Amino acid sequence: MSISVLDALRPARKPALLGLVAVFGLLIGAWVHGKYFSDRSPVQPIEFSHKVHAADNEIPCQHCHIYADTTPVAGVPSVSKCIGCHKSLPSVRDQPEILKLMAFWENREPIPWIKVHDVPDFVHFTHKRHVKADLECQECHGPVETMDRITRVATMRMPWCVECHTEKNVEHGRDCWTCHK
Amino acid sequence: MKWGNDLSTFVEKFRQYLKPGYYDEFDYHWTMTIDLDRCTGCEACVVACQAENNLPIVGEKRYAQNREIKWIRIERYWEGEYPDVKMGFIPMLCQHCDAAPCEIACPVFATYHNQDGLNTQIYNRCIGTRTCAVYCPYEVRYFNWFTYTWDEPLEQQLNPDVTVREKGVMEKCTFCIQRIRLAKDNAKDDDRRRVRDGEVVPACVQSCPTEAMAFGDSNDPEAKVSKMMKDPRGYTVLEELNTTPSIVYLKKAHAES
Repeated sequence: MSISVLDALRPARKPALLGLVAVFGLLIGAWVHGKYFSDRSPVQPIEFSHKVHAADNEIPCQHCHIYADTTPVAGVPSVSKCIGCHKSLPSVRDQPEILKLMAFWENREPIPWIKVHDVPDFVHFTHKRHVKADLECQECHGPVETMDRITRVATMRMPWCVECHTEKNVEHGRDCWTCHK
Repeated sequence: MKWGNDLSTFVEKFRQYLKPGYYDEFDYHWTMTIDLDRCTGCEACVVACQAENNLPIVGEKRYAQNREIKWIRIERYWEGEYPDVKMGFIPMLCQHCDAAPCEIACPVFATYHNQDGLNTQIYNRCIGTRTCAVYCPYEVRYFNWFTYTWDEPLEQQLNPDVTVREKGVMEKCTFCIQRIRLAKDNAKDDDRRRVRDGEVVPACVQSCPTEAMAFGDSNDPEAKVSKMMKDPRGYTVLEELNTTPSIVYLKKAHAES
């Protein structure tokens, strides 16, 4: 007759199993949250694909985000901008996402896009200065042309800003009043 | 040899002690001159500042409790005895002192001197100890005792370039940093290193009907302020405290009777 520790562990089996289920549950929950509910990658009112537009059809960023090099904000294109191209694209007209777009156009409503890249109100950020400093859009926004749904890659927090300002030796780039207003 | 090394490090340390990381020379040295001879006390500057910088209206009750917020205020004083009384005005705003007492006081460096000779106030860094307001001899720092709100249509007129401050934050005149920033931005677009004189106009200067105020870079000898500062009427408020303010007042001249 041998002595085994398994007998002693038997009462702990049930909690251990429950714990395992809980860990799996957490992992699946985190994955679902990240994919559908997080502010890093929110589900937009229309499943607009930057991959189709920017990569497959090679539309440059500033064709739609027209204010990026002249004003602080890059500008979300108006519905009329979308329609401007899509009215002459009968090949994709029957797709469900395009029908959604057409509905917005006919109801004369703006599309309630959810902002993914945002900075707090006490921060002054201008696209113009960064675009004119020859920064690629992808340096902050990540590989947008590969994304079907926009995901925020950078943290958009102060250490991330300051790191780049230090690295690139921006003039007075670390003075508080350069970015805080 | 070793002694020499020790001595040089000691001298180095002593130099650092004398100048603890402050700027000696400023990139720009933003300066304002206020001609008291021209000031009529109309308070146009006060209103302009209120509109430009999202200042809250605190209401009658809180005004009585000395909790009003006015980055620039007109102080009124009287000279002479009854039959021969003269009224004087002095607009009082943050003096952006080069040796500012408030900067020494702040435990979190929410207020410090930047490379442009400006006395900064970083709202999201401020923890609201109010020490700076105690140290300020000019009484120009204001504390947000409450989070003030704007009634329905009025929030539309808030300036998007200026933060709306919250409860527990100190605030004061910034010399309209948003306008300075814009002027520098435009200068960069034109491939200019420097902002031209007269490109930065703070709200109070812009609104002054008698053009009593002038604003500019006193590092530039050709600037309007540099010339105004040399006026023999010029003086700085509370000069004896050695705060070296960036605002030069030009004395009200009286005719000898």
